Amino acid sequence: MRVVIAEDNVLLAEGLNLLLGQEGHEVVATVADAAAFVAVVDRCRPDVTIVDVRLPPSFRDEGIRAALAARRTRPDLPVLVLSQYVEPAYATELLAGGAAGLGYLLKDKIGRVEEFLAALQRVAEGGTAMDPEVVTQLLARPRDSPLDGLTRREREVLVLMAEGHTNQVIAEKLFLVESSVHKHIGNIFAKLGLPSSDIGHRRVLAVLAYLNHT
Amino acid sequence: MISAPISFVFGLLALAVVVTVPAATLVALLWWAAPEGQPLMLSRIAITDWPTAIWASALHIAIAALLAVLVVPVFARWHAQLTLALLAPSATERLAARVETLAQTRAGAVDTHQAELRRIERDLHDGTQARLVAINLRLGMARRVLSTDPPAAAKLLDQARDGAEAAMDELRGMIRTIYPPILADRGLSGALQSLAAQATPPVRLVAGAIGKLPAAVEVAAYYAVSEALANAARHGAATTVMITVERVSGTLRVKVTDDGIGGADETRGSGIQGIRRRVAALDGVTTVDSPPGGPTTITVELPCE
Repeated sequence: MRVVIAEDNVLLAEGLNLLLGQEGHEVVATVADAAAFVAVVDRCRPDVTIVDVRLPPSFRDEGIRAALAARRTRPDLPVLVLSQYVEPAYATELLAGGAAGLGYLLKDKIGRVEEFLAALQRVAEGGTAMDPEVVTQLLARPRDSPLDGLTRREREVLVLMAEGHTNQVIAEKLFLVESSVHKHIGNIFAKLGLPSSDIGHRRVLAVLAYLNHT
Repeated sequence: MISAPISFVFGLLALAVVVTVPAATLVALLWWAAPEGQPLMLSRIAITDWPTAIWASALHIAIAALLAVLVVPVFARWHAQLTLALLAPSATERLAARVETLAQTRAGAVDTHQAELRRIERDLHDGTQARLVAINLRLGMARRVLSTDPPAAAKLLDQARDGAEAAMDELRGMIRTIYPPILADRGLSGALQSLAAQATPPVRLVAGAIGKLPAAVEVAAYYAVSEALANAARHGAATTVMITVERVSGTLRVKVTDDGIGGADETRGSGIQGIRRRVAALDGVTTVDSPPGGPTTITVELPCE
C-alpha cells in the first residue's frame, strides 16, 4: 500500500516508516503538519493515511481537523488517526462524516504490530477501526438501557463489532463459529432496536451512535 | 475615642439651630402670658411688647437659617470626613489584611504544589521508572536466549511489550492529573462538554462566551466541575446536573447544581476541600450550598483579568 504519514514526532515517524517498510508498504510522504498533509494527500493519492491528533503549530487537535478537511475534498480517503489519549468526543466528530475508511487508535496499539497492521488494512479497504478504549469508555457509562439486557457473550460481540471487526474475526477472537456470531449479532440488534445491517462500517456507525446517544 | 466628644459638639450645634426656630416663634407668640416682672428672654433681650417680640424672634430665626444654610453643612462634612478617617480601616490596614490573605492562599498554593510534585515524583519513580527497568531486563534476557531458545525469547519479548503498554497507560493517567489533555486541545468549553458527555447523571451545560482564560483558571474550573460531578454521582444520588459557566467583569463563575439529596459533608473527603484549595490558590471563592434534602449547588468564582 502507498501510505502518507502526518506525524511531527521524529521518533514515532521513523518507527512507523521502519515498520511499514518492513511489511512491504511504501511510505510516499511523511509530513509534520496539518497544512502539508492536506496538500500532499491531494497530490499523492495514497491508499491509506496515518495522522497524529496533535500537530504543529498549536499541538491541539489539528490532526482531527486535517483528517476531516482531507475527507471533505476526498470523502473516501482512508484515515487512521493516532492519539496519545482517547477522547470519545473526537471519535464522534470523526464518525460524523461516516465510518467508512476511518480509524481512531491509541498510539500504544502500534506495539501490537499484527493488530495495528490489520487495523490499517481494514481502514484502507473502507472498513473501520475503533480503539477498544473508545468502546470501553462508551460502555462504561452506567445507565438504565437495553444494554443491561445483553448477555455477557453478546456484550463481547458488541464491543468487537463496535471496534470494526468482521464476523469472521469476531468468531476467531471469541473462539466461536461464524454462524453463532451471526446469531448473537441478530439478538443484539433486536434487543437494542437497531435496524440490522451487515455492511461493516454502517454497522459500526449504528452501534457507536447508539452507545453515544443513550 | 476622639470621635464621641466631637460628634457631641457637632450634634449640639445642629440641635440648637433646629430648636431656635420653634422656640423663637413660641416666644414671639406667647410673651404676654409671662408673669409680671419675669419677662420671657430671647438671648439677652427681654420681650415686653409686640414690636420687640417680632424683631427679636425674626432676628433669631434669620441667624438660625443663616447658620443652617452656611455653617451646618460645612461642619457636617468635616464631621463625616473625620468619622470616616477615624473609623474606616486605613489604606495601610486594608493592605495588611490583603497581604495576610494572600500570604495564606500562597502558602496553601505552595503546599499543594509541593504535594503534587512529590506525588508525581513518586508515581514516576515507583511506576514508570520501575517498569522501564523491568522492560530493559526482559529485552536483555531475550537477546541472550534469542538463538538458543527462541520460544523463551518470544515470551520475554511479549512480557516486555505488556510492560511498555502498562507504562504508557500509567503515564497517560498521570498526565491527566497534571493537566487534562482535552483542556489543552479544546479549552474550557470543549473540555466541559467532554466531561458532561461522559458523566453518569445527565448533564445540561450552559456556557456563555468565556473567551481566552489563563491556563491555571481553566484547570481549577475543570477540576471543580469534575469533582462536583463525581460528588453528585457518588454521594448525592442526583438524577440531573446543571452546569452554568459565565464570565462577568473579570470573574469566571462556574455553578454546578444537582437535584440529589444534599447535605454535603465537607469533612468527609467529599472533594470539596480540594476544590476550595485549588480555587483559593488563585484568589477565588468557593461557595457550597447543600441543605439536607437538596439541591446541592457548588459555585466557584475565579478572577481572570
